[in-house]
Amino acid sequence: MRRAALALLLLSAPVSTAAAPPAPQPFTVYAAADLTFAFKEIVPLFEKAAGARVTLVLGSTGTLAKQIENGAPADVFFAADSSFVDQLQGQGVVIPESRALYAQGRIVLATALTTGLDLRTLGDLARPEVRRIAIANPSHAPYGRAARQALESAGLWERLRPKLVYGENIRHTLQFIQTGAVEAGIVALSIANAPDIRYAPIDPALHQPLNQVAVVVKRSARPELGLAFLHFLNGPEGRPIMKRYGFLLPGEF
Amino acid sequence: MDLYPVWLSFQVATSATALTLLAGLPLAWLLARRRFPGHDLLAGAVVLPLVLPPTVLGYYLLLLIGSRGPVGRLLGTLGIELAFTWRAAVLAACVGSIALLVKAAEAGFESVDPRLEQAARTLGRSEWSVFWSVTLPLAWRSVFAGTTLAFCRALGDFGITLMVAGSIPGLTQTMPLAIYDHVQANQMHEANVLALIAVAAVTALLMGLGRLARLRF
Repeated sequence: MRRAALALLLLSAPVSTAAAPPAPQPFTVYAAADLTFAFKEIVPLFEKAAGARVTLVLGSTGTLAKQIENGAPADVFFAADSSFVDQLQGQGVVIPESRALYAQGRIVLATALTTGLDLRTLGDLARPEVRRIAIANPSHAPYGRAARQALESAGLWERLRPKLVYGENIRHTLQFIQTGAVEAGIVALSIANAPDIRYAPIDPALHQPLNQVAVVVKRSARPELGLAFLHFLNGPEGRPIMKRYGFLLPGEF
Repeated sequence: MDLYPVWLSFQVATSATALTLLAGLPLAWLLARRRFPGHDLLAGAVVLPLVLPPTVLGYYLLLLIGSRGPVGRLLGTLGIELAFTWRAAVLAACVGSIALLVKAAEAGFESVDPRLEQAARTLGRSEWSVFWSVTLPLAWRSVFAGTTLAFCRALGDFGITLMVAGSIPGLTQTMPLAIYDHVQANQMHEANVLALIAVAAVTALLMGLGRLARLRF
């Protein structure tokens, strides 16, 4: 009996010492998944320029917005569209004056090089060699919504629906294509520039513009740093990088 | 590369398992040894976390403990923040794994001959003492198996943790979340290293515990 109690004690013993909270993180950026690659370049530059440590949290805009609504420790939020920021603004959890447009997103038709397929237009998705098509989940991922709108405008949505596979966010969608799980997909231009991916542009007139909006979160202890990051992104250091990843920038559309 | 997620995950899983034992053992004993109104309802409720998809469960949990939820607000007035901290990851792991312990322990307790417990009582032992000196030692193997399962489930939790703790690097990004993040960013090397460490560590741990389980109590 004593030994059983001892074993229990041993199991719970590490808790007191091991569960010490990690050091608090000073500044946290919540960013939509389409910014993954661009932000991995921009964040270190900003860290150097501002002398601050940045924690980058990436996910689908909808999930991140839901978490911010429920008190997530975000300082600034870069959404992949404006509707989720509107919602957060309605709930009073963000600072409306800080709201800024920082880019417009583009979608492309992507295939893995290994498939040997050369798809140029959305209509090509109807070809029998294309058995599965990945898009981001249209219900909560802005790029998924744009993909759906484009397919609807092209009159292909109902026809292609049985072939569709939904990714949790746009990175996940790209993963489906890269791994060969699907033959084709519609992803953000900003993440399509991978060595194993071939892509073709999709006419932006086919979908609502993907106006990407950022906003500083009200509970942020360092709102000035959030604004500084926004300015950095929209400034001479951020813009060329964003441009390289295929974003249209404010003042260019 | 950053091995913090491994460290965090083992901390979280250990804490969660301790919490699970603390809450789960009394619950399992109650279900196995007592009849009361709502007994079957409680027995069903215990396994619900296994039925609901983890992210859905996590979302409901977030509504409860988030800054706008009833529990979150209550804790907030006490100055305690739960959602999006490592404590939320512990809670998530606990919620996801408690059914495994309770079900195993309940079956273990039920298999103990009540006459042995009765004999201890006639010898003047209190209920508390009966539990520790008769019931638990006889049901030890089942409890142990349940604890092991719960620990492994806690270590691997993804969906609930993602929703209530977020995936904040260096703060709440546990090993499963970090592996997922690496895979999505196409950093397969980092993902493989983390997965390998996880598998190796757990295998070693289970082998060690397996030896411990063969001891007699």
